[in-house]
Amino acid sequence: MTGSTKRHRIALNLQIPVLFLHFVSLLRFGSVIGVSSVRRQFASFCPSPDKTMPLKWVLHWQPNAGSTVNSQILNEVSQCVESINGVKEGRWKATLTYYRPVIRDQSSASEFPRDFIGMSLPEQPNKYYFIIRVQRLVLEADSSIQMIMEKLQSYKSRVALNFEGFQYQLGDFQLRVGKVVPTHSENLRGIVMEVEYLPISSMDKSRQVMEEFVDIWKDAVSKRSLPGYFMHLEPNFSEYGLGDHYTPQHTAVQYAYVMAQLIASAQAVQAGRN
Amino acid sequence: MQHHLQHQTTVAASTPPSKTGDAPPKQVALALERLNHATGVIANIRLGADRLIEALFFAAEPHKSSKPVDLFIKGDSAMRQHLQELRSIGKQLEESGVLNESLKSRGNSWGLHMPLVCPDGAVVAYAWKRQLAGQAGTSAVDRTRLALKAFTDQKRHFFPRLDDGLMESASKKHCGARAFGENNQDEPSNYKTLHDVLTCLEKEVPNLKTFTYERVDWLKRASTLPASANDNSMEEPKHHFHGSSLLRPASQGVVPSDKVAVIELLFPSIFRAVVSVHPAGSIDPDAVAFFSPDEGGSYIHAQGSSVSHVFRLIREHAALALQYFIGIQNETALYSLLHWICTYQTLFSKACSKCGRLLAMDKQSALLLPPVYRPYKNFSSKASAGENDHAAYHIGCNSDEPL
Repeated sequence: MTGSTKRHRIALNLQIPVLFLHFVSLLRFGSVIGVSSVRRQFASFCPSPDKTMPLKWVLHWQPNAGSTVNSQILNEVSQCVESINGVKEGRWKATLTYYRPVIRDQSSASEFPRDFIGMSLPEQPNKYYFIIRVQRLVLEADSSIQMIMEKLQSYKSRVALNFEGFQYQLGDFQLRVGKVVPTHSENLRGIVMEVEYLPISSMDKSRQVMEEFVDIWKDAVSKRSLPGYFMHLEPNFSEYGLGDHYTPQHTAVQYAYVMAQLIASAQAVQAGRN
Repeated sequence: MQHHLQHQTTVAASTPPSKTGDAPPKQVALALERLNHATGVIANIRLGADRLIEALFFAAEPHKSSKPVDLFIKGDSAMRQHLQELRSIGKQLEESGVLNESLKSRGNSWGLHMPLVCPDGAVVAYAWKRQLAGQAGTSAVDRTRLALKAFTDQKRHFFPRLDDGLMESASKKHCGARAFGENNQDEPSNYKTLHDVLTCLEKEVPNLKTFTYERVDWLKRASTLPASANDNSMEEPKHHFHGSSLLRPASQGVVPSDKVAVIELLFPSIFRAVVSVHPAGSIDPDAVAFFSPDEGGSYIHAQGSSVSHVFRLIREHAALALQYFIGIQNETALYSLLHWICTYQTLFSKACSKCGRLLAMDKQSALLLPPVYRPYKNFSSKASAGENDHAAYHIGCNSDEPL
């Protein structure tokens, strides 16, 4: 981003949900006050969860150098879950959309954040989550915000992706294996896996259990000699104003990071080919 | 004997030809009558048998007369008549459905059932009443026998080394004194009141929060969980309850210590344990259950069961520990139990003392679990100073060590 001021104009002639308005105004103020205070201010607007939820790690499939992901790998992974006694329960689906601003004035094009992501999560059907990674912002809004954005014509969807697959129960663990596909396409872009541990909702207290589980999981997968492995990157949640207690915003942030990884590795493959 | 012969003929004369014309109540009444009659005949048969044996003895002694032979012949004919009578009554009873349940299977029985003769010989006259109460067909004798068997089995399971001597209070005290000899002599037995126990606990275990409740108040709180738990959790600095404020639960005033029935132990973000004492205000623990701190609802109580597998398994183990503490260290059972519960604060961080890993696949349940067993035999609460001093085992890892 060039320039110290980032302004975002928005038509105010429609009723906008309060949260979205604050989000927008914070973007404007972000440059003046500084990102850290924005976070502090923002954290107070972040609604505390009315219900505790168990914590979750989102892993993604990292193909080996020179190989890509394919549906056979997905099948093997699903079989692997069943081999550690996971019981298939049902399907799940999440969506992620990259938005691009509708720019009327080309000169200010570079001022807008490049990756503005919106996400819907299956366990929160009435909510929609926004993430701007570079500014470490995450927001929970009502799901009707999508309709409002449509009416405002301020942002358009650039790329929309689905994460979908099956959900498995393994005692107190709940696992979700999903393929990453663009909507209206069957082109497999990646594989994600959610590992949820139901008894705990604290990131800290669960760390050892989750690490051991991921080790056990990685071991099981490596026995199948697939061209790749599962990776877990933990974003720095405190930079997003998120605490130790797990929330859907944590999930949204993890997915944003996963997408960044997938894009980076796809670009690396592309660069390798050229 | 003449009397009996006459009796038999009167009975034969009064037998009605068929039952189908009678209403069920009459059938039941008739059946009862016949059963009573059968009891009389059986008594006669017993007497007759005695007489026969008498006659035999008499015949064994040297006699000149034919008296013993006469006696024997009379006895023999009487017996045959009795047995014949019994057979006919038996046939009648069978037809009327007393020895099986055929009346029930007939269409119009008015909800009545024939009196039932149970395998042990007891007669359940009003079987239909008992069926209403869910006790169809068995007699009190059977039920008592089953109950005794069940209690004996349970006693053997929970108290494998307990002999009858321990149940006497004198030897209990003796045993208790012996156990204390190994620990610090004075302190545990000084904690006679709930207040003392909890104060000591709070001093020794830093991360713990304890709350006490009357029974009814606990039910209210359970239904509001886990929302209220969030207020007390990580964001707040560690909250110690000291002295008189110890007995004050989160949202209420002081709970009088003689009404405390439920003790809640909360390790924030790790687990919540609920212990009930009975009677209220005493230090006799009664039941214990474990839950995730995020669980809420009216099923959260000392007899309830968690949604999570790990806490359900710990609860089963805790039931055994509780019985052990009550049986062996009765006066300090609560003290030991609470300290033992506190060893679970390392549930998600302490690896198994045998295999060295935190998670292991349990063969029986096919689940990945942390070590859910903590030893309770020879448990010394004084050693709880360090968090890592107590061993922990996976379910499958403790086969060679007594817990």
